[in-house]
Amino acid sequence: MRISAALPHGVSALFADSARRRRALETVLVEHLERAGFEEAVLPIIDYLEPYEPLLTPASRRELYQFVDRDGELLALRADFTPMLARLVAPRLDSLDLPLAVFYRGDVVRFQEERPGRLRELYQLGAELLGVPGAAGEERMLRLFLDLLGQMANGTGRSIDLVLGVAGAVDRLLEESADGDLERRRALTVALARRDRDAIRSVAIRRCVPALLDLAEAGVPEDLDVLGAAAPRVAALLALRDRLAEEADGVRLTVDLAELAGQSSAPSSAALTGRPEISLPAGSAAEGEDVVWGRSYYDGTVFRAYLGGGALPIGGGGRYDRLFRVLGAEVPAVGFSLGLDRLSRGLGGVAGGDAADEDGVGDREAAP
Amino acid sequence: MTGSDRRPIRLALGKGRNLAVALDGFRRAGLELAALDGPSRRLILPAPEDGLEVLLLKDADVPLYVTYGTADLGVVGSDLLSESDGDLLVPARFRAGRSRMALIGRAGALPRPGSQVRLATKYPRTARRIVAPRPWGAEILELSGSVELAPLLDLAELALDIVQTGTTLRENGLVELEAVEEVTPCLVANRASFLRHRRWINDLVRRLEETEVVA
Repeated sequence: MRISAALPHGVSALFADSARRRRALETVLVEHLERAGFEEAVLPIIDYLEPYEPLLTPASRRELYQFVDRDGELLALRADFTPMLARLVAPRLDSLDLPLAVFYRGDVVRFQEERPGRLRELYQLGAELLGVPGAAGEERMLRLFLDLLGQMANGTGRSIDLVLGVAGAVDRLLEESADGDLERRRALTVALARRDRDAIRSVAIRRCVPALLDLAEAGVPEDLDVLGAAAPRVAALLALRDRLAEEADGVRLTVDLAELAGQSSAPSSAALTGRPEISLPAGSAAEGEDVVWGRSYYDGTVFRAYLGGGALPIGGGGRYDRLFRVLGAEVPAVGFSLGLDRLSRGLGGVAGGDAADEDGVGDREAAP
Repeated sequence: MTGSDRRPIRLALGKGRNLAVALDGFRRAGLELAALDGPSRRLILPAPEDGLEVLLLKDADVPLYVTYGTADLGVVGSDLLSESDGDLLVPARFRAGRSRMALIGRAGALPRPGSQVRLATKYPRTARRIVAPRPWGAEILELSGSVELAPLLDLAELALDIVQTGTTLRENGLVELEAVEEVTPCLVANRASFLRHRRWINDLVRRLEETEVVA
């Protein structure tokens, strides 16, 4: 009997050149992180589900591979590194010397519908900086992220697009545009993140339509005051963008709040994710909205990177102090992750054959 | 990822029912698209006068080309957009070429609450979404064409398909039981392409709005 070489949907095996290319990329990145003072954390692939319960959104719960072990424990496969690292570090914070700079690498496993750009096993490399508050921590990690990408793209002729935003920056505008209605707000978030002008016009209250259309078009409103309390943070981010742009060769930096509209900073943001029940024009809202919604735990600067010519994000990250707060700890935290298969392919190699194109990066989720 | 940030902006058009709508709309908005005037066997049609390359594809392939960035922009019906479920931007919807997605059957009413039927369609994802909140259940049968035949020959009690005038239904003794959503030709854009070509795309959308090509 001949056995089939087929693998389940969304996973792939690497051999020879593909494997070498990914390992070479990984080695370069790891060396760079170590030179930058980051130490490696090796994390398990299986964990208890229970510590993550407060962090799960309906969408991230659907992605989890969970099972009952033979001893009756409810376990889950690792679907995201950041919450796992946070839940291991949070109880030990008092005994740690801060700031703490760690990196990790390995697979995350998520159930994803069969659709373009979605695999179920994703190889990621990421870094986290704990204990550096405010703009200083964000700027340090952004510079490191840019260094890593710049080093990868150097000599390939590829440019990088880095999109910056502030989690929750459009919360007030969306709230006002939805007239306080949760379903309308959900629908408007999807519409804004898809730059869906027709849907914006049909759902938003009339006086807010011009500001939302302005955001969908330009990424930043002409008048920052419409953002309310978030305006100073966005102004500071625009200034940081200008500083980084002067130094970053081959990187286009854009502040675009529409691209990252799903990154709400509201404590109840989990309730805001998912498919809106309000009627939108057909084709407005997909079943899987991970690019629209992003992560539920960011609460400061957020960013997402595209490699020149590439269509899907190769990495992303942001500030996630809120994640620790949910776990009962207070520590400033910023991090990012990179998808190595997508990065390798974007740089000109096919890391994982035809199927291994996607990494689910830029969309880290609160899950094991 | 086969796209490059050095090539011209690439526009993917389906060769089906939305092609005429898209060409007419883009030309009213100022694009020439001269290469599409006559018959051609070329797979990639250069349109240097517009700063574009045009790909002529099967309708159902347009979302995939745009999702992966092989094309930066495309025109595709919202019916196929819902099915492909990619992370595409939808900056505009055309006014022309609209139709409706409808539940079709032989009987004059939808299934009774609690009943289980078979539903034939080319749009299984949309069908699951539409059936989910209903008080009746349906086994979804995915067909690749001639969906109207299914209720006619008792392969399924219901069909979910696009209805434009309703003439085909009437000629075959079928009834439109419920119009479930409007189907519109959509201008779609890849996320990364929007970042790279924001000004060009926004300008195109503005011209499409000014000429009332899009809503």
